[in-house]
Amino acid sequence: MTPWRPTAALSRALVVAGLGIGGAVLLGEPVGLVLVAPLILCAALGLAGRPTSTPTVSSEVDHVSLHEGQGTTSRLQVTGADDAEQITRAIADAAYVATHPAEGRVSRLLAEGLPDLEISPRRWGRRVLGQERVGFTTRWAGYRWGPVTLPGLQMQVLPGPTAYTSRAETPQPKGLVGAHRSARPGSGTEFAGIREFQPGDRLRRINWRISSRTRRLHATTTRAEEDAAILLVIDAVADHGRSGGVDGAASSLDLTVRAAAALAENAVRRGDRVGLRVVGGSGRQLRFGSGWVHLRRLLLALSAIQSGGEGHRALATHARVPLRATEGTTVVLLTPMLTEAIATVAASTARRGLPTLVIDTLPPDAEPALPDDTDPDLADLAWRMRKVEREQVLAGLSGLGCPVVAWRGPGTLDDVLHRLARRAQLPQVRIR
Amino acid sequence: MSSLGWPLSQLMARLLVLLGPVVGLVAAAAADVPPPGWVTALVVVLAVGWAFMPESLLGTMCLAVVLAWWGIADFTEVPAEALVAALGLLVAHVAAVLAAYGPPEMAIDTPTVRLWLTRGAAVFVTAPIVWMLAVLMRGQPEPPGVWIAAMVAVVVASLMATVAFAPPQERAVDG
Repeated sequence: MTPWRPTAALSRALVVAGLGIGGAVLLGEPVGLVLVAPLILCAALGLAGRPTSTPTVSSEVDHVSLHEGQGTTSRLQVTGADDAEQITRAIADAAYVATHPAEGRVSRLLAEGLPDLEISPRRWGRRVLGQERVGFTTRWAGYRWGPVTLPGLQMQVLPGPTAYTSRAETPQPKGLVGAHRSARPGSGTEFAGIREFQPGDRLRRINWRISSRTRRLHATTTRAEEDAAILLVIDAVADHGRSGGVDGAASSLDLTVRAAAALAENAVRRGDRVGLRVVGGSGRQLRFGSGWVHLRRLLLALSAIQSGGEGHRALATHARVPLRATEGTTVVLLTPMLTEAIATVAASTARRGLPTLVIDTLPPDAEPALPDDTDPDLADLAWRMRKVEREQVLAGLSGLGCPVVAWRGPGTLDDVLHRLARRAQLPQVRIR
Repeated sequence: MSSLGWPLSQLMARLLVLLGPVVGLVAAAAADVPPPGWVTALVVVLAVGWAFMPESLLGTMCLAVVLAWWGIADFTEVPAEALVAALGLLVAHVAAVLAAYGPPEMAIDTPTVRLWLTRGAAVFVTAPIVWMLAVLMRGQPEPPGVWIAAMVAVVVASLMATVAFAPPQERAVDG
């Protein structure tokens, strides 16, 4: 149990007051009393506020899961602080967490209410708020309780909500119901043609104008509307570049995760099914699904991504990455394309005839993280050679019919998906 | 924010902590008991340390040195400059209290400052009262029992200090 302790201010006032009184009595000189008279009163009033209660304190945040850049409030729960007059709380700095007031330190009279701290995570991922120290002081700064240390709270920070909408149709929709125009006729709204009435046609499909002119019953046909499946493949083998949070520079993993979140949200809004495969990191997979609950699941999985890890080592030993993508699935690969195995994944899915799209997420100013003792000239040369190799790989993938685009936010994929959809209508040779 | 990363309110509080004891010595000089250079230097050094560490013992030592200088000076009557010195010591004490409410990077809350300004003004009233009493009673014959009263006051102060610093007793828990 944390006890109340006399403050340095009370000790100082008592000692100086004692010296003043003692000096005045011993020397018979009242000037000392004049000097310490206010301090005598401060000490007496500080002593009079001796506390008897035992405070308990805990902290909580209003939201433990939110999007990067959003804010929440950290509040204190306090009991037994009736004798206290002042409360002070200070939260330690944590990576990618902004606090207000700045520095996360605030002191306030308890009569003004408990001090809240506004907290805003600046980057997706699992964020742990810094440890917090809370202390109370009684009236006239006589006694102090604490500061006690409260453990840092954990928050799940989802990738930021990106305003992304795409009107491009998915190349090979193969589902049951959805928003994409199908190649086969069905009960959609897109006009397909007019043909003679057949048994089974709905009466409301009869085109009376053509039927009266030809004196034979004709019916209007429409194309079916289907949903599509999109598999998001995330390259989490390494994180290149520096991350400055939601307002600053973006690393390759920042671009990857934010782009994947935007694509997933856009697809779910259109009723499409979305799956997730993380290459490297945790190596997590998420089955295809649709709906807002599934989107939430996807965002949580994206926010849990960490580069490297066990998956990275597995990738180094087993260069083959099974994707479990079936016919009709559009594979969207988000990668800085600096790992051979990822290029192999893209090439093999393109060869299987699956519409494959590579989103290049290497920041233009990315530089490798190097140990201190590395020769900078040698490192620069190696990095330039690596980038030349990367350009060759990207060019090779384009040659295989696998378009490569850099993520530019809204509208990034529209043109490419239109071209893929047109190409999907053509006969193709597929390697299984 | 300063180059130290401290907000303006903290800088102001610590500046007052530094200046308060110095004002106490300047007032002594004005009362025709100028302190020697080494006393001034000692007080300045202690005050600088106190300004950086408002919870340290340096504050007590600094105030004690100023008090000692005033105590050993031989006055024919209590000078009015003692009130200025008392104000300096009180301001330094209150500023140190405000600065010690949190880490130096924390801004001092305005209502807290307002409260302590009021408190400081209220307790300072005792200084002119004591000064007036001292001036009025100068030269008067020593009242009977004054030493007993002084001893009682010292004992009471000691008892209060003992109570203040004693650890809180465990309270019995029923049931």
